Amino acid sequence: MENRIVAAMAALGGKKEKAFITYLTAGLPDLEGMKELILEQEAAGVTVLELGIPFSDPAADGPVIQAASYQSIKQGTNVRSVFQAVKELRKEGLGLPILFMLYYNTVYHYGLSDFVTSCIDCGVDGLIIPDLPKEEQGELSAYLERADAPVLIQLVSPVSKERIPLIVEGAKGFIYCVSAMGVTGQGGSFHKELREYLSAVGSHTNLPVMMGFGIRTAKDVLPVADLIDGAIVGSHFVNLLMESGYDRKVAGEYCREFKRELHAVV
Amino acid sequence: MSEPYYGEYGGQFVSESLMNILQELEVAFHAAITDTDFLKEYHYYLKQYVGRPVPLYHANRLSEAYGTKIYLKREDLNHTGAHKINNVIGQILLAKRMGKKKVIAETGAGQHGVATATGAALFGMECTVFMGAEDMKRQALNVFRMEMLGAKVVQVTSGSNTLKDATNEALRTWAKYAEDTFYVIGSAVGPHPYPRMVKEFQRIISVEAKQQILEQEGRLPDVVMACVGGGSNSIGMFAEFLEERVRLIGVEAAGFGIDTGKHASAMALGKPGILHGMKSYLLQDFDGNVALAHSISAGLDYPGVGPEHAYLKDSGRVTYACVTDEEAMAALTELCRLEGIIPAIESAHALAYAKKYAKEMTAEQVMVVCLSGRGDKDVHTVAEYFREK
Repeated sequence: MENRIVAAMAALGGKKEKAFITYLTAGLPDLEGMKELILEQEAAGVTVLELGIPFSDPAADGPVIQAASYQSIKQGTNVRSVFQAVKELRKEGLGLPILFMLYYNTVYHYGLSDFVTSCIDCGVDGLIIPDLPKEEQGELSAYLERADAPVLIQLVSPVSKERIPLIVEGAKGFIYCVSAMGVTGQGGSFHKELREYLSAVGSHTNLPVMMGFGIRTAKDVLPVADLIDGAIVGSHFVNLLMESGYDRKVAGEYCREFKRELHAVV
Repeated sequence: MSEPYYGEYGGQFVSESLMNILQELEVAFHAAITDTDFLKEYHYYLKQYVGRPVPLYHANRLSEAYGTKIYLKREDLNHTGAHKINNVIGQILLAKRMGKKKVIAETGAGQHGVATATGAALFGMECTVFMGAEDMKRQALNVFRMEMLGAKVVQVTSGSNTLKDATNEALRTWAKYAEDTFYVIGSAVGPHPYPRMVKEFQRIISVEAKQQILEQEGRLPDVVMACVGGGSNSIGMFAEFLEERVRLIGVEAAGFGIDTGKHASAMALGKPGILHGMKSYLLQDFDGNVALAHSISAGLDYPGVGPEHAYLKDSGRVTYACVTDEEAMAALTELCRLEGIIPAIESAHALAYAKKYAKEMTAEQVMVVCLSGRGDKDVHTVAEYFREK
């Protein structure tokens, strides 16, 4: 079977539609509630779902995701329980591509080979590991060569510059462009050279270019809509869920609204 | 350029935003330490400002009590009261050379924060120090000192509110402002080239000690001992002895005891993991979350350890031991009474193991112990500890 992320991105590309990815901290409000939220987002037409595996020291995350992560750990969420939940969702027929966003220690502690095997068994399609830059990926990549292995999403930053060709070479799925320096959830303050940077990434790859960090509404990405293939919303969505008491309807409506606005401009 | 790994440990496990910055730092660092003008300036400040060389003191009464000849490398006599300033002078001179106007630092006990605030004042830089809320309580005096020196102290209230969380927050801030901000890391930890850089700027400890012991004893010591939290005073103390036939011992904090689970001995019970940009021994729970360290000493209260130490442990070149809060406090008291020196609780860990290890040594053998800092900052903690006993 083709990787779900690769397939979903290709399908959108064919229709000239933008992709929309949302981020959830796994285990909130609890594992069952999380499963319902995921199903709701599939229904709302989200392209890929990013599940943040909580970690004690989320050094790439801002206060919103830190707090969510802490809360989820306190409730006992761990990577094994999230694997299990995804496996159950797949059994129930979930087709939505699932990405794990997690820190390298979680993968390393689990065991690289076992981790990749669990991804395959449970239906996890991709990985985002913010503290694993290109230079450190060798060890894990050796286990990702199997055709059914999850794709490792490559991150590019506004200051990557001459590193861009190195990073995008051999990349799969899509390229994740962070909109600003620093951590997740800084709200709308994008890097001053954002356009130049996104163009540079686009010129080095045929993969879809996705932008994330600090995005709240589709309006935030309008100035660069011509340069990207879609948007990723993390902290804002996590916050919205927290404030609404993890209301499925709020989650679904937000996703539909974002997609509508995103396509209204294209 | 130098190798980012020590065996399987070290590396650069940071966000992509920092990779170019680390590269720039590495280039600047290598250019600096091979530049005689830079080294001249570094040594000028060590001599005229920090007060080096510091003595290698033959602790006569302590030697008698412990049964072997003990020399103390008096890092406590440095300006600001600990070895931390050696590294800060080096890194701030490097920051200046790179044209950075702002520095940030993390601190546990507050010694590195005070040293960074001092260096920033000396060279006219803006300084922000991240400190865990818990540590701010334990080390209120150092918070006040940093503020007097013009630094802004940011209280960190995430995770365990201690050094590891302060380091996370410093890393987050650095990832955002790295374009004009230099991160002064205080221990031999973090992504490459930090562990190497900190070792180079702390090497002065053993450069002096080696010369001093040869002057006083006419030979190298049998044993060199230092406490290990992240491992900066110890790596500096070991550096010049690594290639010599000298037994090297690092002493970690065993807190309430290794078996209680409340300790900070990454190498006694940790397994390799990734935190703060490096792969090294790390205390973790069953799920791979970082476990909380415990030590009465804020400076040793860290769940990881510098990657070169992890390598030196595996290779067997350095032996790592640990002592409990109780043993450290007893040794602290003994040094006060026998030598009229109030050591930092961190340094007292090395003294406590020196006492144990001396039992295996003869009266003629020689041991050098790194007295990494003075205990003024700990008086409150000490008072509370003995009141509760």
